[in-house]
Formats: sequence, structure tokens, C-alpha cells
Amino acid sequence: MTLAYVPRRVAVAVLQILGVAVAVFALSALLPGDTAVVILGKHGTPEQIEALRQRLGLDEPFVRRLLTWFGGLAHGDLGTSLLTGAPVTAELADGLATTAVLTGVALAVIVPLALLIGVTTGLRQGSRLDRAVNSVIVVLDSIPEFALGLLLVALFSLRLGWLPATAAGLSGTSLATHPAVLVLPVVVLVCKQLCALARQIRIGVAEANTAEYTRHVRTHGLRESTVLFKHVLPNAAGPSVQQLARTVDGLLGGVVVVEALFALPGLGSGFVDAVMARDLPTVQGYALVFAGTTVTVNLLADIAAYRLVPRHRSAS
Amino acid sequence: MNAGGISRRRVLSTTLGALALGPLAACGANTGASSSENRLRVAFSTSGDRESLDPHTSTLFVDQARSKALFDTLLGYDQDMSLIPRLAESWEPDDTGKRWRIRLREARFHDNKPVTAEDVLYSYRRIADPATGSPAQPQLSGVDFEASKASSDRELVLVLSEPDFTFPAAMGAPATEIVPAGTTDFGKPVGSGPFRFVSFETGGSAVFEKFADHWNGAPKPAELEFVSVNEEDARVSALLSGQVHYSHDIGANSVSTVDNDSGARILAAPYSTMQAVAFKVDRPPFDDNRVLRAVLSGVDREALVKVVLNERGKLGNDLFGRGLKYYPEEIPQRERDVDHARGLLREAGAEGLDFELHTSSADPYFEPAANLIAEQLGEIGLKVTPRVGPSETYYSDIKKKGVAGHTRTATLPITSYLSKRLREASVSANYTGYDSSEFDNRYDQAVATPDERKRDELLTEAQRHARDHGGMMVWGFSDWNVGVSKRVSGLRAATPNSTRWARFDEAELG
Repeated sequence: MTLAYVPRRVAVAVLQILGVAVAVFALSALLPGDTAVVILGKHGTPEQIEALRQRLGLDEPFVRRLLTWFGGLAHGDLGTSLLTGAPVTAELADGLATTAVLTGVALAVIVPLALLIGVTTGLRQGSRLDRAVNSVIVVLDSIPEFALGLLLVALFSLRLGWLPATAAGLSGTSLATHPAVLVLPVVVLVCKQLCALARQIRIGVAEANTAEYTRHVRTHGLRESTVLFKHVLPNAAGPSVQQLARTVDGLLGGVVVVEALFALPGLGSGFVDAVMARDLPTVQGYALVFAGTTVTVNLLADIAAYRLVPRHRSAS
Repeated sequence: MNAGGISRRRVLSTTLGALALGPLAACGANTGASSSENRLRVAFSTSGDRESLDPHTSTLFVDQARSKALFDTLLGYDQDMSLIPRLAESWEPDDTGKRWRIRLREARFHDNKPVTAEDVLYSYRRIADPATGSPAQPQLSGVDFEASKASSDRELVLVLSEPDFTFPAAMGAPATEIVPAGTTDFGKPVGSGPFRFVSFETGGSAVFEKFADHWNGAPKPAELEFVSVNEEDARVSALLSGQVHYSHDIGANSVSTVDNDSGARILAAPYSTMQAVAFKVDRPPFDDNRVLRAVLSGVDREALVKVVLNERGKLGNDLFGRGLKYYPEEIPQRERDVDHARGLLREAGAEGLDFELHTSSADPYFEPAANLIAEQLGEIGLKVTPRVGPSETYYSDIKKKGVAGHTRTATLPITSYLSKRLREASVSANYTGYDSSEFDNRYDQAVATPDERKRDELLTEAQRHARDHGGMMVWGFSDWNVGVSKRVSGLRAATPNSTRWARFDEAELG
């Protein structure tokens, strides 16, 4: 059963990525204006714009450009930046380290914290602690990233002087030697993404904890820790793993704002720059990475969730 | 992200204003990225990878500031756009205004080679070549390079195809920097500016070190670092927290936040940016001069300055360059006259006319101005709908599309503005389609006359004609704000394009 599900789900994911690739190419081609216009700015004459457009290959028919791009993709070649002439893969690699560290650290904080909050409050549903903790995380969730970021900068950087306000002047590689610049961006991402996952775990734990099968095993005199780890958590895990995938999606969206606000040289700020410059191959490369990550994470989450449902596990 | 810009700045103004009242000067939470005590760190928006160290193709402010650090121009502009010498020691025309003899001062490139007349000819030829794509190309397109020549290492003669006694303005324009003859690769540029190249990463930092043998004396900072901070809120945070010493381009909403801080201050240059609406006079409905005059009479410029510029600006009179040389002060201020405007519309049969007013976030004042102008013109019986376009391609878009759109222009010598924006021959920067032989004749006569007073009169007449028929409704002039750490002395408020702007060699770190 599982073996049939996994290939089917992988096939769907591959189709999703192909669909996203076509959609990304079509949508980025629909952006008003093009690289030639942006490069030449307000000083460009129509003749100069046309000449540059030809030089950059922007005058070629849409379908030919699409096929050329797909031909490159098949060989792992995402094309060349229209602005710098560098391979798009190199442009992506520049920002990857920053974004990977940012989202990785945020995730490493979110998962255990959400588990702790979700399990603790789920087991004490309706208690004063449950209500208090829920109120706090809902409030944090309701503050937009940029507003929370500005508040934290005002307090911890400007007022108290404890943490750097931005990563101005640091490159992706030099961030490793200045980890303090990541603290506020990570806190913003954690505050924004913690709520949904913690609440999903809480609901799952609360439901599993009061379910008939749990009451049944308790009547057999099992220890509470055994009930929790063998019956409550496994049953709560499926939906939570899927929520975790959505949390990763949320983090990828959040880094676009956070990287701009803290002047971090990551994939999010690179993506925005590429869109602003109408550097279509680079825009397509970034969009593909973001979309590919989302599809892959959701694929893994679905498979994991499928496997975590006890009846599927026993069937396999 | 642009859509949230104003509200973000409001949040920043409020939160920083409320929380940053403490001893901010002591905020030592620096990233520690600066390696030298005497390294001046300046933050600019770089907008990604469009940047280049080729001075001749520079269009962004950050490009121009880096060009100013690494290279020199022959002349510079003072605050009123009058000329001041840089690499050129003297510049003199012959009686016809077609031959200009230019003598260079003794100056050296960073590789210790002297700056020669051949370097100037090479640089200007490169700029004038349309293939280079230089924004300064129109200003040097009138040079006859076949006839121009170097008469010695430090002297050259530039020959123009038409007489022009205002030609030296071109020698101070941005993107006319002198590079060593033969330079085609600007990966590690060699210039004659006050700083020499150390490193550069597009979209990231650029580090330069002082060039002790600069003709104007050694710069004060040992090192200069340009850092990329695209978001204005982040530039303000970086300045207030002490991470950078200079933040370029601070909007009106953040000015009080910086000014109220104990560790930073605002340098505001008045009259720096002309704020205008370009009405296209080469097509209906504004090809009917009565409709054009109706909108010019229907707009309340004072209200726009008060509301949109938050009173941090000056009133416009449908003329470029208030406060500059050749600005016709004697032309009376255009006032709002609703009845007159309604009468003109009635006469033209244009009552109830509707049109779209193109606007964008390319400038923070465009969108609020568009809403207020739509409201004001509604009161004279027009139906105006603001239409927001993408900021990245906005200026190119409004050249081709629509009948009316917001525009702005930084300070330039008035003759450069008139030749680039209003003469038929320079249509690339003409946003209104104004094409008048009357204007062209007066302008051509003015630049061809050696008599300064006569030139002034002719330029006044030309500007008067353009004001009534050219389609440019200039409602105000906004300040240009930069934020500077109080640790830094020697920097003064300056309009972009002037010599004093981004003069980091004069900055002293205390």
C-alpha cells in the first residue's frame, strides 16, 4: 500500500515542479518592462533599448526561449544572468548559505519549542497555562514580520545596544564570524511561524489524549509516559508533520521580508533584486528553487505523515 | 514591499522615536565588519546587480558616489550649478564658441601615470559612442572627435559641430569621468580620484583606500566602504545603531527620527529634486493649449508642498531649477484660479473630461501627489484617475504610454536640462512631446551667444515659452536628505550631481 502511494506521490511532485517551472517562465515573461529597459533606465533611447534587447536575446519568441530554458534545465543549467553574465546557479549559491542558515536555525528553534508548547498545553487543555501560552503565541503570530523586526531593532539594538541592527556590509560567508546578526532575524521568523505548528501539535495531542483508544490503553494500567510516547504522540504526529511542511513554506516567505529588513544577503533579497531588475533567468532560477523546496518538503511531509498513521505502518 | 513602505516608515518613526531616546551614541552592537578605526562606512541602496564600476554607464546614486571616489571629472558643479575646476585648470572658447581649449592640472592616476589630454579624448569618445550606453552621451554627441586633438600632454582642443558657449556644463556632468586611455575592463578600475580600488562585490560591499597622491591632497579617511542596504528602514537602523556613518536617501517620514537621535543628524539640501507632472502636448487632450492651461490653473501647488512634502520643500512655478543660474525669477508665481480653469475647459468643450494620471512608488511623493492632484482637478470638473505603475520601468513606460504622469529631475545646470528635456533633438528625455521651433531657436541663439546678459534674456524667453506650452507642471522642489553620524565632520548638505555631494574624501571621523 505504502509502496504504491510513494511512487504516486513522487510522480505528482515531479508534475508539480514541471507545472511550476512553466508557470514561472510564463509569469515572469508577463512582468511589465524588461531587462533592457531597466538597465538603460530613463536615459535609454528606443534604439538603444531595441539593440540591447536583441543582444540579450529578449526579442526571441516565447516558445523558443521556453524550450531553450527547459533544455538547459535538463542538464542542470539554469541559464545566465542578463545583468552580470554569471551563471544563475552561481547567483543562487551566493545567497543560499545565508538563507539556509537563517531558516535552518529558525527551524531548529521552532520544532522543539512547538513540541514543548504543543504537548504541554495539549495535555492540559483548558488550563490557565494553556490559555496564557496560547494568548502569547497568537499575539506574536498577529504582528507582521516587518513591524516585529522594527520593534526588536528599536529595543535590542538602539535602546539596549545588545545586538546589531542589520548585517550591513557582511557577505554570506562572513556571517559565520558574526552570528549575533542572525539573532533578531531568527527571533522574528520563530515568533511568526511558531504559533501554527504549536497549535497543531496541541490539537493533535489533546485529541489523541482524550480518544477512546487512549482511554482504553490507560485502563490496562500503562504508565503515563508510555501512553504519551506510544499512543498519543504517534497519533498526533501525522497532521503535525504536514503543518511542519507549511511552516517551512512560511519561513521561505518570511525570509524575503526579514532579509530586506536586516540587510541580509540571502535568497530572499536576491529574488527581490532580480525581479526589480527584470533579470528573467535569475528570477526563474530563484522561483524554481523556492517552488522546488516547497514541493519537496511537502512531498516528504506527506510520505512521513502517511507512514506515521499506525494503520498504514502495520499494513506495510 | 514598496506598498508597505509608508506604513513601515511610520512604524519605524514611532517605535524608534519612542524607544531610541536613550544613550544611543554608546550603541556598540556593531557587526564588527569594519576592520579599520579610520574606515568611513556609507550605506546606499544598490538595487542588486545593476551596479558597475564603469563610471561612464553609471545611473544609480551608488554608482555615481563610487565613481566620485575613484575618478575625477574635468569640472564640477557648485550648489547653484555654476562650474568649478577639477581636473581642468582652465577652459576657454574661441570667438565662435565651436573650439574649446582645455588645460589640465597636473594629476596622476592610481598607477602613477599622469592624466593626459589623450585620456580625456579617449574617455569622451567612449562616452559619446552610443554603443557604450552612457547617460552623458547626448551631452558629448556634439563633439567632432575627428577635428578634436591633444595639443600637448596637458592641453587639448575640443571642436563642436555647432557653437555652444554653455558646453563646459557637459564637462561636469555625472558619467563624464576621465579614465586611462584604452580602458575597457572596470573589474579593478584605475582612476585619478581620491580613493583607489581594493575590492568590490556587486550587490555587496565596495572597499577603497586613500590615494595619498591625489591632486587635491590626501583624503581624510584611510578607507572608504560602501555597503548595500536597499531598505530605507534598514539604512536608518544601521545609522542609528552606529553600524554605518552615512546613510544616503532618507525619506521625509524618517527625517525626524534621525534628527531626534543623539548620535546622528540629517543633512538636507533644499531645491534638490524637481517634482512635476508631465502632460503630453503632442496628443489629445493636452494638444489643445486651453486644456493644458486649465490644468495648470486648476492645481494648488501650495497645498501640494504643504501636504505631500510635509512643508519640507519649496513651491514650484512650472519651471525647472529654482535657485540656479539662468532661473527666471521675474516670471510671476502661477496661482490657482478655479474659475479661470473652468472657463478654459468650457471654451475647449472639455468639461467632464477624464484621463489617467500615471504614478508610481519610484518616488515617495508621486502617489500622494497624484491623489491630491486628482482631487484638485476634480474641483474644476475633470475626472482624473491615478494609475500606479511598476517603479522599475516607470520612466520608460510613461515616455510611451498615457497622457499625463509624475516625473522628477535632480538638479542639473539649467542649460543641460533645457537641452536634454525640451529640445526636439533630445527626445529620449522629453516626457511631454514638446516640440517647438520657437523654443529651439531661442535656445540655440542663447547658447551660441558669448554675451552672458543676452544669453540670460534669450533663455528666459525660451523658458517662458516652455512654461506655457511645454506641458510640464512643476509643483514643487523636494529636499534631498542624507543621515550622518555625529562622529563625522566635514560633510555638508549637498544636492546630488553637485561636487559637494558624496564628498567622502573630506569626511573626518571623530
